[in-house]
Amino acid sequence: MDYLFSYLILASIFVILGLSTNLLVGVVGIFSVSQAAIFGVGAYTVGYALSNDIMGFVPALALAAVVCLVLNVLITLPSLRVSGDYFVVTSFGIQLLATAAFTNWDAITGGASGMAGIPTADLFGLPIDTSLKTLILTACVACLACFAFRLVMRSPFGRLLMALREDELAVAAAGRQVLRAKVEAAALAGVFAGVAGGLYAVYLSFIDPSTFDLDASVLLLTMVVLGGARTLAGSIVGPFVVVALPQLLSLIDLPTAIAASARQGIYGVLLVAFMLFRPQGLMGRKI
Amino acid sequence: MASDQTYLSVKSMSKRFGGLQALNDCTFSIDSGKIICLVGPNGAGKTTIFNAITGFLKLDQGSVFFRGNGLTGIGPQKIVRAGIARTFQNLRLFGDLTALENVASAVPNQFGEEPLGALFRPIHTARSQRKTRETARGILEEVGLADQAEAFVRNLSYGEQKLLCIARVLATGAELLLLDEPTSGLSGDALEKVMVLLRRLRDEGRSQLVVEHNTRVVQQIADEVLFLHQGHLMAQGTPEAIMADPKLAEIYFGGAL
Repeated sequence: MDYLFSYLILASIFVILGLSTNLLVGVVGIFSVSQAAIFGVGAYTVGYALSNDIMGFVPALALAAVVCLVLNVLITLPSLRVSGDYFVVTSFGIQLLATAAFTNWDAITGGASGMAGIPTADLFGLPIDTSLKTLILTACVACLACFAFRLVMRSPFGRLLMALREDELAVAAAGRQVLRAKVEAAALAGVFAGVAGGLYAVYLSFIDPSTFDLDASVLLLTMVVLGGARTLAGSIVGPFVVVALPQLLSLIDLPTAIAASARQGIYGVLLVAFMLFRPQGLMGRKI
Repeated sequence: MASDQTYLSVKSMSKRFGGLQALNDCTFSIDSGKIICLVGPNGAGKTTIFNAITGFLKLDQGSVFFRGNGLTGIGPQKIVRAGIARTFQNLRLFGDLTALENVASAVPNQFGEEPLGALFRPIHTARSQRKTRETARGILEEVGLADQAEAFVRNLSYGEQKLLCIARVLATGAELLLLDEPTSGLSGDALEKVMVLLRRLRDEGRSQLVVEHNTRVVQQIADEVLFLHQGHLMAQGTPEAIMADPKLAEIYFGGAL
């Protein structure tokens, strides 16, 4: 039972994170490979605030959201000057930089050995101390995030973001401010990633840099591509499938020595296979 | 309103791209309520003028005035709001959106075009969205694309895509339209449709500056012609007068330097 809870909790956290990545990469077409870094900043912010008893869980989560909002806007800004392929390189650098910071800023992050013993969450005095309560919390937040994503995608703002991916010049010619729209999208994606990070920190009570490295960013992209970029259903299905993969793989009797690398290999194969044979993902509309 | 105020005037515009002088001290002015065709051989600077007027290009020198207000150094968004909007030679439609959404994306003053409004006032946003779609539908009707409203751009014929470009620029509400080759690649019915549409829009009060290569089209739609050569205005006059000038004809057809 705990096992199932753990799966559902992680999957719903990754749904929130998947929505963030989907918004930025899928909808607006800002190809960021550093979303795990933002996720990490959210996790460390909440972890630090709770471990040091600076504030309660709700304000800490809000703080994480704000910090990630600002940070995501800052790291997305280069995409206004360098476009497409070049931004991937910039974003790659940002991801490496973030991993270096997580690993070496011992005073805050606990360095390579990570941050352990993060207290459990509480909602205005109500402790979230069981798996069931955590699941309810994360599932509610994930639902809220899905609802927000849906509202955005159906609004003129969503249409503007879709248009932006296709042709920035035409968006400007239609009298829209390209810069402003990109900043707003990045801000929203940052909030989602920050909240996901905070939930992750209190659920696992232990975080370390390896969770927020480049592999994690690629894993996120895998979720979005596999589920279906630009769709709400895809951002839900993708994480649920990808989070289940390691468990499914463990059913096959692989030697432990190669299990981890086999998993990475399978993510890679999945990414390539989907790009080739089903670029719209599992849930994407055929285009 | 002062009657001596020029509608759109362009003063000594110059622009150099590396070794190429795209615009060379180009000066002209136009009146409102007309279709003005911008003609000239390839590389004469027609599209560059569009880019400069609409704020997509920074001029090395020169200025643009619209109804007496300076537009120099202002970004594309503000120029659209001032009342000048453009189309692109290579269409630049949003291929993943429907025809209706393409038009809706250019309708000004929509509520919920930023995240806070969209998230926290969803009902108001939905209402504004409905109004926008109605407006967009009306514009599609105006250009004769009402039955294709829900079609994706890539499923439209080339002629329909050209009409959609005009619909999108109409949606901005701008009073002066800069149309970059609205008839290129069209023939027969499709060409006729665009010409009829442009004349009707003019009669409804939409001034137009049109880049046009087809001399037959120019003769049929233009109230006035601006002849451009090597980034400089060579002549301005009625289509008949411009066409009758042997020197201009030689430049245009003979490729003389």
